[in-house]
Amino acid sequence: MVLSTVTWVTMFLAILALPGVASVVLIRSLRTEERKLELLREQGSIDSYSPRALQELREWIQAHPNDPYAPEARQRYNECVRTLREVDEPYYDWSVEQIEKLETIEE
Amino acid sequence: MESSEPRTAREEWGTRFGFLMAMVGAMVGAGNIWRMPFTTGQNGGGAFLVAYIVLLYVIAVPGLMAETMIGRYTNKGVIGTFNQIFRSKRSQGLGVVVLIVNVALMSYYAPIIGWALYYAGHSLLMTFTQPGFQPQAFWDGFISNPALVIGMHTVTMAGIAGTLVFGIRRGIERVVKWMIPLLVLALVAVGVRGVTLPGGMEGVAFVFTPDWTSLTRGSTWVAALSQALFSTGLGWGIALTYGSYLSRYDDVPLGGGMFTAIGNTSIGLLAVFATFPIVFAFGIEPAAGSNLLFISLAEVFPELPGGAAWAAVFFISFLFATFTSGLGITEVGVTTVSEETRLSRTGSVLAVCGVVWLFGLPSAYSSSFLDQMDFVIGSFGLPLATLSIIALVAWKLGPERARVIDLNRNTGIYVSRWWNPVIKYVIPVVMVFIVGFGVVTNIGTENQTLVMVGVALMVALVVISTAVMGIIGNASSSPGPVSEGGD
Repeated sequence: MVLSTVTWVTMFLAILALPGVASVVLIRSLRTEERKLELLREQGSIDSYSPRALQELREWIQAHPNDPYAPEARQRYNECVRTLREVDEPYYDWSVEQIEKLETIEE
Repeated sequence: MESSEPRTAREEWGTRFGFLMAMVGAMVGAGNIWRMPFTTGQNGGGAFLVAYIVLLYVIAVPGLMAETMIGRYTNKGVIGTFNQIFRSKRSQGLGVVVLIVNVALMSYYAPIIGWALYYAGHSLLMTFTQPGFQPQAFWDGFISNPALVIGMHTVTMAGIAGTLVFGIRRGIERVVKWMIPLLVLALVAVGVRGVTLPGGMEGVAFVFTPDWTSLTRGSTWVAALSQALFSTGLGWGIALTYGSYLSRYDDVPLGGGMFTAIGNTSIGLLAVFATFPIVFAFGIEPAAGSNLLFISLAEVFPELPGGAAWAAVFFISFLFATFTSGLGITEVGVTTVSEETRLSRTGSVLAVCGVVWLFGLPSAYSSSFLDQMDFVIGSFGLPLATLSIIALVAWKLGPERARVIDLNRNTGIYVSRWWNPVIKYVIPVVMVFIVGFGVVTNIGTENQTLVMVGVALMVALVVISTAVMGIIGNASSSPGPVSEGGD
């Protein structure tokens, strides 16, 4: 039986959207694990937020200084800043200038 | 990922691969291998898949991110997590509800694993290719023999207890790292065999040729919604429990959300590939319902060249799918009981498996009781559990607060603000809609009494659990400060 073009396209899209994406995510997830483990073995710790995520965390802390979760947020923010200053190679895509500009928040 | 700096003495996954396989294994079960193919057949084939993929990405992926995140954040089981986030003993009762729903779910799922075990065993004995084999008579003979079904249920629970007693890393992880890749390989092999059969491509055409008129029918979308939510196991407490064994450096959105939801559905798609070409090649009714797997497919193996081997591959892979789900569902109870009581891991495993075995006896004894349990728990219990867990993030912790503090911590992908309204509004509304739709469409049918029982049971469960936990809490200690939702 010959499949129609619409059938081929739908099948291709379903395979792409499901097993295709799952395979890419699996490979990416395992690779990030390898990199994290390598950095952890070499440096003992890694930065836990990307530049964008850390910026958002800072904005949230400034907007919610009295939130019950603010102390924990400040602690996590400062831990990431200190780690970035200590490690030779960050896990996320941080530039030297970006790291130099970072300041810890009073806990 | 491999634990390098554990925060506590709590066990952690040995490898990232083990965690990912455990998550997928817990979610891939009868819902994917058995239900997805016949639901696809009943709802317009390709059109159903389109609706399903849309809802999977919009609802299941973000929802699983939330559930896994809350587990990693608290490092606790369901009751401990509710206690830590709500800081109220009364609200801890919602954790008890999730636990009870899980035990109830497992009580009728374990006999189904027993069915898979029986069929897998007979596939190895080459029963299905013996001369004069009659699938309907074989099924009727098995299901109407309570001693046999209860025996399979007992063996199943013994197998689950025997695996869980070794813990997360040496028990669950060691098993799923083999079973899930073998399941995928088995489904691919059966799928390839199916499409090469004369007439097999008609099955492919049926599945992937979209009947666009189906997309205009509400029933297609509701079926896709139910399949997307229930086959991914969102809100059952499994992702929360498995997430609680992650290390602080582990990623949540990529593995706990995307891979779990999409990987699990990919296996569902493989199951469609594995069954539909065979269904069409042998002229079986594609919308045959639950009979498709145990009766209709068993009928084709004698006709298939090398049928004995293909039957073994198919039914053993189905056993793997159901068994790994059984591990996940039972582990929710084991983790919680071992945390909330003084019982050891072994004691907790024996206690939970013993309770599941006992409460599973009526479902093992009577398949009509099992169907009724499936209807009540599936229609009311699981949506209630999902609502309870999503409420933790949506209305108490707050999605924006959860996202900035924890979800985007150590992640492989960045999750932006689109996530907040999905968690806070879309998923709760969808769950309420599913319950409401189930009630409305079953009024005036033979299920009307079950609907009333289900609604009453769930309301009673919430009221009693929260009241009892409130009384226990007041008697033992005063609650800590209560925080408000973040956004």
